[in-house]
Amino acid sequence: MRAVRRTLRTPLGAAAAILLAIVLLTAVFAPILWGEQAAVVDTDDILAGPSPEHPIGTDGLGRDLLLRVLVATRLSVSLALVATLVAVTAGLVLGVAPLLLGRAGRAVTWFVGIAVAFPGLLLALFFAVIFGTGWLGATLAIGLAGAPSFARLCQTLVAGVASRDYVAAARVGGIGRFRVLFRHILPNIGEPLIVNATIGAGAALLSFAGLSFLGLGIQPPAYDWGRLMMEGLSGIYLNPLAALAPGIAVVIAGLAFNLVGEAAARALGIESTGIVARLAAVQPRRAVGASAPASPDEILAIRDLTVTFPGQEGPVQPVRGVSFSLRRGEVVGIVGESGSGKSLTALAIAQLVEEPGVVDADTLRFVGADLLEGDPADHRRLLGNSLAMVFQDPMTSFNPTKRMGGQLAEVATHHHGMSRREAHDRAVDRLGAVRITDPERRARQYPHEFSGGMRQRAMIGMGLMGSPKLIIADEPTTALDVTVQQQVLNLLRSIRDDDDVAILLISHDVSVIAEICDRVLVMYAGRIVEDLPVSELSRARHPYTRALLAAVPDMQTDLDRPLATVPGRPVDPAHVPAGCAFAPRCPLADAHCRAVDPDLVPVAPTARVACWHAGEPLPTPVAEVARDTEEVVA
Amino acid sequence: MTSATALPTREARRAGDHRWLRFIARRTGRLLVSLWVLMTAAFLMIHLIPGDPVRVALGPTASAELVEARRRALGLNDPLIVQYIEYFRGVLTGDLGTSIQTGLPVAQTIAQRLPATASLAVLAFVCAVIVSVPIGVAVAVATRRGRARRLELGFASGSIFVSAIPDFLLGVALVSIFGVALGWLPIAGRSGPESYILPVVALSLGPAAVLARIVRVEMLSVLEADFVRTARAKRLPPWRIYLSHALPNAVTATLTLAGLLLSSLVVGTVLVENVFAWPGLGSTIVSSIQTKDYPMAQATVLVYGAGVLIINTIVDAILAMLDPRTTVAEN
Amino acid sequence: MSELRFEDVTVCYGSGRSATRAVDGVSLTVPDGEVLGLVGGSGSGKSTTARAAVGLVPVDAGRILLDGRAIDVRRGRRPLQMVFQDPYSSLDPRMTVGESVAEILPKEIKRAARRDEVERLLELVHLDPARAAAYPSQLSGGQRQRVAIARALAGRPRVLIADEITSALDVSIQGAILNLVRELQSELGLSMLFISHNLAVVRYVASRVAVMHDGRIVEEGATADVLAAPQDPYTRRLLAAIPGRVPTAPTMRSTP
Repeated sequence: MRAVRRTLRTPLGAAAAILLAIVLLTAVFAPILWGEQAAVVDTDDILAGPSPEHPIGTDGLGRDLLLRVLVATRLSVSLALVATLVAVTAGLVLGVAPLLLGRAGRAVTWFVGIAVAFPGLLLALFFAVIFGTGWLGATLAIGLAGAPSFARLCQTLVAGVASRDYVAAARVGGIGRFRVLFRHILPNIGEPLIVNATIGAGAALLSFAGLSFLGLGIQPPAYDWGRLMMEGLSGIYLNPLAALAPGIAVVIAGLAFNLVGEAAARALGIESTGIVARLAAVQPRRAVGASAPASPDEILAIRDLTVTFPGQEGPVQPVRGVSFSLRRGEVVGIVGESGSGKSLTALAIAQLVEEPGVVDADTLRFVGADLLEGDPADHRRLLGNSLAMVFQDPMTSFNPTKRMGGQLAEVATHHHGMSRREAHDRAVDRLGAVRITDPERRARQYPHEFSGGMRQRAMIGMGLMGSPKLIIADEPTTALDVTVQQQVLNLLRSIRDDDDVAILLISHDVSVIAEICDRVLVMYAGRIVEDLPVSELSRARHPYTRALLAAVPDMQTDLDRPLATVPGRPVDPAHVPAGCAFAPRCPLADAHCRAVDPDLVPVAPTARVACWHAGEPLPTPVAEVARDTEEVVA
Repeated sequence: MTSATALPTREARRAGDHRWLRFIARRTGRLLVSLWVLMTAAFLMIHLIPGDPVRVALGPTASAELVEARRRALGLNDPLIVQYIEYFRGVLTGDLGTSIQTGLPVAQTIAQRLPATASLAVLAFVCAVIVSVPIGVAVAVATRRGRARRLELGFASGSIFVSAIPDFLLGVALVSIFGVALGWLPIAGRSGPESYILPVVALSLGPAAVLARIVRVEMLSVLEADFVRTARAKRLPPWRIYLSHALPNAVTATLTLAGLLLSSLVVGTVLVENVFAWPGLGSTIVSSIQTKDYPMAQATVLVYGAGVLIINTIVDAILAMLDPRTTVAEN
Repeated sequence: MSELRFEDVTVCYGSGRSATRAVDGVSLTVPDGEVLGLVGGSGSGKSTTARAAVGLVPVDAGRILLDGRAIDVRRGRRPLQMVFQDPYSSLDPRMTVGESVAEILPKEIKRAARRDEVERLLELVHLDPARAAAYPSQLSGGQRQRVAIARALAGRPRVLIADEITSALDVSIQGAILNLVRELQSELGLSMLFISHNLAVVRYVASRVAVMHDGRIVEEGATADVLAAPQDPYTRRLLAAIPGRVPTAPTMRSTP
């Protein structure tokens, strides 16, 4: 209900509702008010043009056309609705049949698949031959003609829902097929079905008008808009309005149904374009204090990096002030959970954050070049040559319609000025460098012929087409098996060993980070809370880092004790609390922590922490470790 | 899946060709089966009519002998199976029966009128695609991620409005404006190139609006895809990202719908031909239904249906060429 | 509870030339009252094995026995229940938490008793019973998994199958769910088949472990034995591939 009220407030929803109201009211009341008048025959005034008494004119028997158009609303609209009902019912039956009938159901699916290829009008004509002309025949014809596409829609929707785990859980729970259908499947397909039914009503209206226009629909003395158009067409030279006016009525009614369907779809989020608030212009801050000049070994220098997005309740900053640097050949990991901002940090550094996100920083230097100022074309060339990205999901990161070799080669043709032949050779060479066997053949293949692990390696190979100085890998092994993960991590390590390439590795898995990284940055709620060498992880100082390490079972975990848990949930970037963001979940937090956010300060030559109680011993835990810890902090 | 042995490239290419050939064979098989279903449906069409079709055609006043003679002439007294086989034989040899109305062979009438309908449909389709695809792509690129809200609003409302206008109404409107009021273009019959203009516009405008919207939606969703992010990470110039990476992937989804569009265009000619007195199959099918000339109605339904099936097959083949995954994805 | 035994079970996908054996002659035993961990990579067939046991996938060869007898699949009574991986699709978004759990309760329990039973189950998984009126969209991933566990328990199962139930959860939440699983198993004496790709998690939860690869069981035994002295080369590869010994000192163990 709330959704209905919300849609009525949008211009689309309001327009749809008003239009629909007009159409329905006319349909109900016009014959009552003007039915008799519309039938008045006046043989003195045949086929007249527009005049004050007859705003649209008169027909071949002198009857007022405007009134006839209005009165025809009821028949046109009601028959369209009946036809839609027939179509939806038949479609629903055919659509759920495969679920209930098993073997026979497959025959139904096959048959619907063939029938759906034929356009509605053709099917309507087919049925018109069988059922004949007149309102009943036309209604059945249009209804049955619409059934196959509804059936196909139902089948798709049902298949989508039937494959969900809660349906499987119900079946495992012993719930019978029919009950599953009515309790779980139908309610979950109801919404898209209703939206499509509404749009289908609009189509039925048009089809009806079409059939009547051809003379195959409503027969005299009854009349609908289509019939009026047909009658008006013969007199088009004398009075074009006679044919156009009923047509305009058809358009208005059709629009009403379509708009209602569109508004409903938007309300239900079926096609959501999102409300993008206007983001107040973020003034770029220029370096207040002078940042240290770039050393020749410096690959990345970042100070106070922020990423801001517009949100429902004001701007949201998933990254709120990240500062670190990277030297040549250094492998640094960023570890964090959902809401930590680690992926966005990587995207921001790589200049891949798109509108409406805004990236800003005091310093953002890559290989000595300031990425915040200067010519974007130069940046593009620099980044294309010296920065390689590896993304998380290997299944979707490559273009499915292009061959792998070509996707690698285009980096070389566009950035290194190589010819196609040279670029292709280089691509094959790089595929071999990442240990893909038979690279010549593989280069000719499409992405779907590569396994997940191979695609990730190809992704790395694509980054190696030039001579990158930095590889940013965002959860590169999350979707991979542990043995394949090992291969990819070994590959990254060997690239660093061979060519002194710096690597920034992002992961939620501390053990992956510990495997190849020299240093690790722990992020929480958009900030770095600790920065320390991997070898010193056992001496981590920040309570979150320690909790994270304790909560993950490894091969040495004590089997006799319950696993450590971190009460509460990861922070929602839209609702970051004042003070230290981890305070609500921290056993050491006090009033000061909740009021003031600690800065990231060095505590050792190689480590930094952002905590007021860094390094203090943690209290011993209370029992009840299995409770719903997420409830502790709402 | 690690590649165990190294295959020479020639063998690899042959394997790829095999996959294509198998796909074509499968698709052709499907086409033949669908055609068979269509023929059977067209055959049953007559026999599903409640009552005696000949009696219905000739009316209640016709004499019983006349009805009987007609029934014998149409072979309606034979057992159903025999009629079915006869019908099949006829279709495969080009004999589609004799029109009850005119007494002429149906195949002859169809052959005469088919070119008019086909030329109209194809021309309208080409126009719709040429107009809608560039517009859809351009609007998608301009309005992604909430930019140019007014353009998006104007485009959405404009296309909804245009697609809500039925093609025959559009035809009537065009006739009254350009034919009657302004007298610029011919409004009836098929004479020269000018006579094509109004019917083609009437037929193609609605589908073009629908197609433009679909192209825009597909393009938008493709632009959010991971591999487009990869292309941006490779710092390729924007035009290359849109045209070389995004568009081919948007096209594959659009193509399926375009195929449906073409099919409905073909059948939409029925209505538009009526408005413009176009000498095509449209008027044939309508009059045959009205006059209950069943052999003619049956044959025209068959021709339209076969046209639709062939179009779908061609679209599937083009789709397979563009997106290699479709050759594998059959199950 | 009960012993679940797979005898030479085979499950095929596809047909004709392209038929593959997702599960190839698998023989497994989940001992009464114990947890058997099933480990393997993606495509190893472990999920298919689980789905075959609960009847979601037809078995092409072999038998699955509960206490030596075929599984009774009369409507309304399923002695095997399953908890799925994805907390976001395992609950019907249109039913409240309470309704989802109550749906699986045996028919013998009548109205008022049903409500009490739902509350008891929610408390068992350490959820506030008032949550019974909430919709899944109002709960977090970890809470939804608890509901899924409560729902599985509602069916009075003799064997519980957990299919990667923590893989989709945040690291800091996983621990609580694993603790819950251990607690329930010891309290209720459940026999459990615990599937995971993560050896460390399996080690923590299961007393026996079976390693699966390409549809076959390559190794099985007591967890401590298999992990200390793996016999099969694939098992050895798995163990060697576990990333990063995260350096831990004794002091870490005393933290919560």
